[in-house]
Amino acid sequence: MLGRRRFLGWTVGAAAGAAVGGGASAGLRALFASAESPIVPPRGPERVVLSVCDLCSGGCGVRVRMVGDRAVRVEGNPLHPVSGGRLCPRGQAALQALYHPDRAEGPLRRRGPRGDLSSFVRATWDEALGEIGARLAEIRAAGRPEAVVLMTGGGGAGLGPRVARRFLSAYGSSNHVALHRGDEAAAIALLLAQGVRTAPALDLQSADYVLSLGSALLEAWSAPVHATRAYGEFRRGRTGRRGKLVHVEPRLSITAVSADEWIAVRPGTEGVFALGVAAAIVGEGLHSKPFVAERIAGLEDERDADGRMRPGLRSVLAQRYRLEQVEAETGVPGDVILRVAREFASAGASLAIGPRKGPILPGRLFDHLAAGVLNALVGAVDAPGGLLVADEPPLPAWPPLPGGVSAAGRARPRLDGAGAERPLLASDPERLAEAIRARAPYRAEALLLLDADPVFASAAPEAFAAAIEDVPLVVSFAAIPDDTALLADWILPGSHYLERADLHTTPAGVPYPLVSLARPALPRPVRDARPAAEVFLELARRVAPELAAALPWKDLDALLHWEMEGLHAARRGAVMGTAFDEAFVRMMEGAGWWAPGYRTAAELWTRAHESGGWWDPFYDHGDWRRVLRTASGRIELRGDLLAPPPAAPDRDGTLALLLFEPLPIAGGTGAELPFLQAILDPGHEAHWETWAEIHPDTAARLGVADRDWVRLESPRSSLVARARVTARVVPDAVAVPVGLGKRGGGRWASNIGANPLRLLAPTRDPLCGLPDFGATRVRVMRARRPNGSA
Amino acid sequence: MARWGMVIDLDRCTACQACVVACQVENNVPPAGSVDAARGRAISWLRLVPLDGREAHGTRPALRLVPLPCQHCDLPPCTPVCPVYATQKDEEGFVAQIYPRCIGCRYCTTACPYTVRDFNWRRPEWPAPMEQSLSPDVSVRPRGVVEKCTFCHHRLQLARDQARAEGRPLREQDYVPACVQTCPANAMAFGDLDDPRSTVARLSRSPRAFRLLEELGTGPKVVYLSKGEWGA
Amino acid sequence: MPDHERHDDERLFAPVMRVGRGFWMLAACAGVLGFLGLVAWLVQLRRGLSVTGLNVPVYWGLYITHFVFFIGISHAGTLISAILRLSNAEWRRPITRAAEVITVLVLFFGMGCILLDLGRPDRALFVLRHANLRSPLLWDVIAVTTYLTASTIYLYLPLIPDIALLRDRLPQRRWLYRPLSLGWAGTPRQQRILHRAISVMAVLVIPIAVSVHTVVSWVFAMTVQPMWHSTIFGPYFVVGAIFSGIAAIILATAIVRRAYRLEAYLKPVHFDNLGILLLVMACLWFYFTFAELLTTYYGAEPSHMAVFLSKTEGRFAPSFWTMIVACFVVPVALLARRRTRATVWATVVAALSVEIGMWLERFLIVVPSLSVPRLPMEAAPYAPSWVEWSLFAAFVGVFVLLYAVFTKLFPIVSIWEVREGRDRSIADVARRVESYLPDGGAGP
Repeated sequence: MLGRRRFLGWTVGAAAGAAVGGGASAGLRALFASAESPIVPPRGPERVVLSVCDLCSGGCGVRVRMVGDRAVRVEGNPLHPVSGGRLCPRGQAALQALYHPDRAEGPLRRRGPRGDLSSFVRATWDEALGEIGARLAEIRAAGRPEAVVLMTGGGGAGLGPRVARRFLSAYGSSNHVALHRGDEAAAIALLLAQGVRTAPALDLQSADYVLSLGSALLEAWSAPVHATRAYGEFRRGRTGRRGKLVHVEPRLSITAVSADEWIAVRPGTEGVFALGVAAAIVGEGLHSKPFVAERIAGLEDERDADGRMRPGLRSVLAQRYRLEQVEAETGVPGDVILRVAREFASAGASLAIGPRKGPILPGRLFDHLAAGVLNALVGAVDAPGGLLVADEPPLPAWPPLPGGVSAAGRARPRLDGAGAERPLLASDPERLAEAIRARAPYRAEALLLLDADPVFASAAPEAFAAAIEDVPLVVSFAAIPDDTALLADWILPGSHYLERADLHTTPAGVPYPLVSLARPALPRPVRDARPAAEVFLELARRVAPELAAALPWKDLDALLHWEMEGLHAARRGAVMGTAFDEAFVRMMEGAGWWAPGYRTAAELWTRAHESGGWWDPFYDHGDWRRVLRTASGRIELRGDLLAPPPAAPDRDGTLALLLFEPLPIAGGTGAELPFLQAILDPGHEAHWETWAEIHPDTAARLGVADRDWVRLESPRSSLVARARVTARVVPDAVAVPVGLGKRGGGRWASNIGANPLRLLAPTRDPLCGLPDFGATRVRVMRARRPNGSA
Repeated sequence: MARWGMVIDLDRCTACQACVVACQVENNVPPAGSVDAARGRAISWLRLVPLDGREAHGTRPALRLVPLPCQHCDLPPCTPVCPVYATQKDEEGFVAQIYPRCIGCRYCTTACPYTVRDFNWRRPEWPAPMEQSLSPDVSVRPRGVVEKCTFCHHRLQLARDQARAEGRPLREQDYVPACVQTCPANAMAFGDLDDPRSTVARLSRSPRAFRLLEELGTGPKVVYLSKGEWGA
Repeated sequence: MPDHERHDDERLFAPVMRVGRGFWMLAACAGVLGFLGLVAWLVQLRRGLSVTGLNVPVYWGLYITHFVFFIGISHAGTLISAILRLSNAEWRRPITRAAEVITVLVLFFGMGCILLDLGRPDRALFVLRHANLRSPLLWDVIAVTTYLTASTIYLYLPLIPDIALLRDRLPQRRWLYRPLSLGWAGTPRQQRILHRAISVMAVLVIPIAVSVHTVVSWVFAMTVQPMWHSTIFGPYFVVGAIFSGIAAIILATAIVRRAYRLEAYLKPVHFDNLGILLLVMACLWFYFTFAELLTTYYGAEPSHMAVFLSKTEGRFAPSFWTMIVACFVVPVALLARRRTRATVWATVVAALSVEIGMWLERFLIVVPSLSVPRLPMEAAPYAPSWVEWSLFAAFVGVFVLLYAVFTKLFPIVSIWEVREGRDRSIADVARRVESYLPDGGAGP
């Protein structure tokens, strides 16, 4: 018999148990439910928008899938001649940039000390443009418009940089400095050889034998998707013909991995190797004699206008690049040099490519000249499978620039001395930093930065950081505050390419004129951002009426109409289309007909927007008047210039610093996007950190094991990186990727990795004055783990 | 019924990894941070793995960097071991992964000799507003389940729907996975291995063709064409 | 004299009658560990398996190691006790119950480890609803459940007479002992049925036990992974399980002997015999290990050698060689000589060494094959996290606590069997020995 007390005890106990149990089970259920992500799928009508990617200078046309107001997928536009429906990993990651959590909320004004994001406060566009416009008007009214400097960077040939440059000129300054000089050395080599100032284009898909002198052809190339598509065809796209790729570099790069042969030369001797090959070709008489006879100048010695004897290529090669000399200098056996020479000269269509490594690393002029010599010797200039010169798209002229104050300002010498102190250079950012600090020849009063981060991506990062402090007004258009933006006075976040209309001209390295059109995919930007082009148009209106007259467009759409109407008036080319359309247009233009597929400008507008843009696929090979503008009317082999820069004195125990740009972080951008941080070095487990490749023999000598931390020390600076012991690099060198080590850039880039550009010695190429990115030697030693790293 | 397979031409592939990122974007794979990546927990349905080889003219080690998706084996070692039938091979040869069924025991992940399966060690998270870019065609997985390459099976369903709506049969170019679509070198092909006229069937008969770990008898449906000179 | 009126073996009743300070201290420690484990588990439920050290490709780590380890130890009780019963080994009498309790309790923790390892423990019952009978994990579920049932019965049956004794001695706990004693009165008929039932169970339990660890081994052996896909795994795991099981019995009985002052019942000769068993299993284990390693090494298949070398000279070498020392060198050194073997401390040290070694052995089976996959890929080293270690500590702590609770509820040494031994064994054994001797008496 249960007593009352017992019964009460049991019921209370049972109730308590049930409560605890119920609570526990509810808690457990909540815990289990936390497994699901609270994601709200997009809803709304689907549509497709055509646009142009600007995550690099490649200019790939893209197709964007929109669901409602959300962009959910970006793919290549199949009708676009550059992308052909395909995209590189950067293009695929575009949506991560669009919806990046660390995009600036809107215009930011600095109120506290420089260098800290928390120093910035929100402002409205009206306030920002009002103040900046007023300041610019002030500077111009005081008669010093040349004191305004515009720096542009990577990110494509869209309207943003073009309008910005036009604004600067209309305003009255010639201080437009381009930070990314990846194409410079190749362009200067082409200028010296053919008298044309542009980056050369390569007809890779029609070549049979490619000798790559340390180029990043299959990595951070100027138009990566275009080059890789061509490579696919080069290999297996032509029945019965398979192209052969030989890669010469002290490091087994990604391009080298794809090559049929990797020739490991000593650091800095790619050009010497190329000239050794050239010497063998000339020595054995394997060069294309008809072509040389008709189109080349400078093979033999000749007297110049002053009566002095200028050495010809033949004597320079015979004197300085004999087989045994080249063998000793490069470390490559003579029989390899001879074999490559014979293969190069006897293949159907051969092509030599100079060491452009990415948007930041142009390679040395000497090496590019050497590549040009090889191409000239075998007739690979303006021929199928060879070096081509792209024609400009026939876009209309813009309204004339104002005179008066503006003309006077434009006439003043540039702060960076490009074109004057260093006549071959178009831009000299490092000299600009010096000039700003020295305040000579005049003080810089404003610095506008469009897609440019010189505090990170120049050859003198620390000099820039110091110089910027000296400029009273610094405005950055970065969407995610980068290192330079953190030091700026104003951040005017630029819109993502999917948020604006745009028009892109031919990307560097593509041989036919292109006009790619972009429509805005999103009805309004994700953050309070504006297209830089429209900001400059607005500033023009605020600064002075004559600027507004020089840039008379209300917005981007108005400018686009202007451009397209001019394009229509040129009566050339066709809208982008299928391969069939392309073949048809080529056939017609080859016979002298124009068969565009549109009649009126309105029709051109509609059709171009439906397909992705306009282009002219016909390349007129052998139009020498267009591609040769030298005094002699021939391709100049500048034997007098073919002395390699002196190698840095080999201090005991130092290693040559080899820099390279992995495609995901090329140009100093990309580290902000987590999908790109994860793929920095395929197959080698290196990601989210800066690594230093060291040869096993060297590592043994230094007492360094794989994955140890090492310090690299140069006279300028030092950094800590993760050692990767690998036979991928020659014993005398250490290879470090460029693109990590930012302070800004948001949560996935900030304080990750280290920036090897800080290590660079301030050496300049003696031929042209470009910074010599390959001349630095560093000391390597074991180090302790850096703070905050795993 | 079709038997879907893939051909990857290593002579065209440049190891650019566009396929890797395209797959992650297409299939709503969460981005991993540096900590998770360092711990080996980043999810990537398609990876490049280094397979060593020797180059012809030298003694230095050369590399082949090989894209490795799920091989969708004809005799998969992963499907018999799942205690709850959460992974099965269907009639068209896809090795499917059924997220609502998976209990996360990870037996299939350890049984796979190619190590191509991934697991959600944490709940997938996208810092706002990154979740806006998620594709509506692919479910977002919860914490604790296995996931892997599906040959973008959702695209097949969409393509079939489209073909049905247009009253025509499915064409070879209607259905390609995201990786195949984006490869700039055009190194990947996809289609019905049982259709003798399809590109993949033709390429899989090339003298350059090989499969990975063939000796295990898994019958992988990803065919590789070796890099290099020989073969047409 | 009726059983319940005998007053020998008071020592054996003492733990059930009184709860000492030692028990409460143990409960406190176990409580702390258990709480730590609970916190760890809740953290894991909230944040998923990212709180462990697991990654790609080391998808399995400590949880699976412990699963195999605990299931291995479970072979202790039932298998040993059944074999000893069937072979009429008289020295088993004080040991059998302690062994059987290990089995029943540790099986729960073994299954618990699997639950911990699941990504979606809320879907655990899917293995019943959507069972795929081709999966070795399903075979595990069936085998372990069967084994648990069988062991529980096999623990309970010989427990009945002792429960009856307690029922009569402790009227305040009648509510517990009366229903459990099933009306045992010690009648000859009941005794006959009981002995019959125990014999039947003893025979049944052996194949079930063998199947359990065979099936656990087949979780690994049925894949094609290097150094997992081995035909020897079934017998190898059974041998390893019995090996670690005997060591567990030694440890348990040594502790119980010390804690409850049962030196009179658990004498050095018992440890001597257990030591012989441990020695035999050590040699057998070494034989299997050596055979496995030699065939792998001789065949020199690259993917196998990669795993092999990671164990013998690579990342896992310290664990591997410690395992060899702990599982073979130390036990053989201590147990090969009678002088040391007959002491309790030597057997205990050997048993402890074996447990550590066998833990390492389970770890070395699970982790190296996963750490060195066939196709080269990213492989961050596996470093278990505090969650995994805390749960292990909690499991061990709670296991010890539950074991101690059992000793407070039921006698840990089987009283009726000891009495039966005292009363009848000598005569039984004499009769048996006589039946072996040649017929015909003493000679001419």
